[in-house]
Amino acid sequence: MALDASSRARFNLEKASILLLDDTAMGMSILVQIVTGLGAKQLYRCNAYEMAQEVAQTHEIDLAIVDALAPSGQGYDFVQWLRRETQEPNCYAPVLITTAHTPTSDIVRARDAGGHFIIKKPLAPIVLLERIVWVARAGRPFLFTGSYVGPDRRFRDDGPPDGVGRRREDLVKAEAEAKAQAEGEAQPEAEAPPERSTG
Amino acid sequence: MPGGLPVAEAVERAQANLESIKPTCSAELLALLELCEAGYATLGDGFDDSALEGLYAIAVKGIGAGEVCGAPPVDIALTSFCDLLDHLRTLRRFDRAAVGVHVQAWRLLMSPGVPKAGAEQILEGLLKVRARYAAEAAAAASNAA
Repeated sequence: MALDASSRARFNLEKASILLLDDTAMGMSILVQIVTGLGAKQLYRCNAYEMAQEVAQTHEIDLAIVDALAPSGQGYDFVQWLRRETQEPNCYAPVLITTAHTPTSDIVRARDAGGHFIIKKPLAPIVLLERIVWVARAGRPFLFTGSYVGPDRRFRDDGPPDGVGRRREDLVKAEAEAKAQAEGEAQPEAEAPPERSTG
Repeated sequence: MPGGLPVAEAVERAQANLESIKPTCSAELLALLELCEAGYATLGDGFDDSALEGLYAIAVKGIGAGEVCGAPPVDIALTSFCDLLDHLRTLRRFDRAAVGVHVQAWRLLMSPGVPKAGAEQILEGLLKVRARYAAEAAAAASNAA
């Protein structure tokens, strides 16, 4: 479900520890500007795979935004390593993988790395925020198989359960019902046949 | 007072932050373009995997910066370029004109004041060039499977 860019709904990234991995100064700069704009304050900026490994081994992270690091694709290796080699809770950390371009030879690697979402660059703040909110809400189960460790890839966002609307929709619906009821109460009087005079 | 930020305000702040790095971003994107032009100038006549890999490594670093620099078509052109280079490497083929047209398009799309219709026409041409090799690469991949 898309996040409305004009929404007044609140979220808070202030206390979240976020690992950022991007090997280009420009890529890192764009990412930092977006996440700080979204309110994040505790950032671990890593410009290399090894640096990200060190951070993940020594600090608890709440979210990782990892570039695929094309053309080497080391970003995928980092995510795979994070899932398999780090202690709890970091091995379960939400991971968003960003990619400028995925070569054909890396498609399977990207799919199997163990990230929650893959986001194509250019990054738009609303899209990044939307994915962060999705990851926080979805609670996808983790799979541990021989070839894959990460969140279950078979998922879809069906929206709220049947019969339950969003709050704003509920409000609109309730207002419409109240209006219809008010009109309905008024209508019988208007439509009622004139009383016969018995006098 | 509730903590955190409303979505609208956060997105607005992030956009404003991106606006603040526009000059640096433009300079870095231009530097990448110059590197790419220099790399293109040294290409030989035949297939050279490491040279194409080098161009790919430059182009891929620029994707995402076009949007920030106020030149979103650059991102599309660079994505097309990376696709083309990937296909050529898969097919072990070389097409100087196809590579060259992408490098020139990158330069053109970086120029200030490119009209929208002109940019669209350039992109349309690039996508046609890319599509030619995409079909061949897909056929080669399915034959190999």
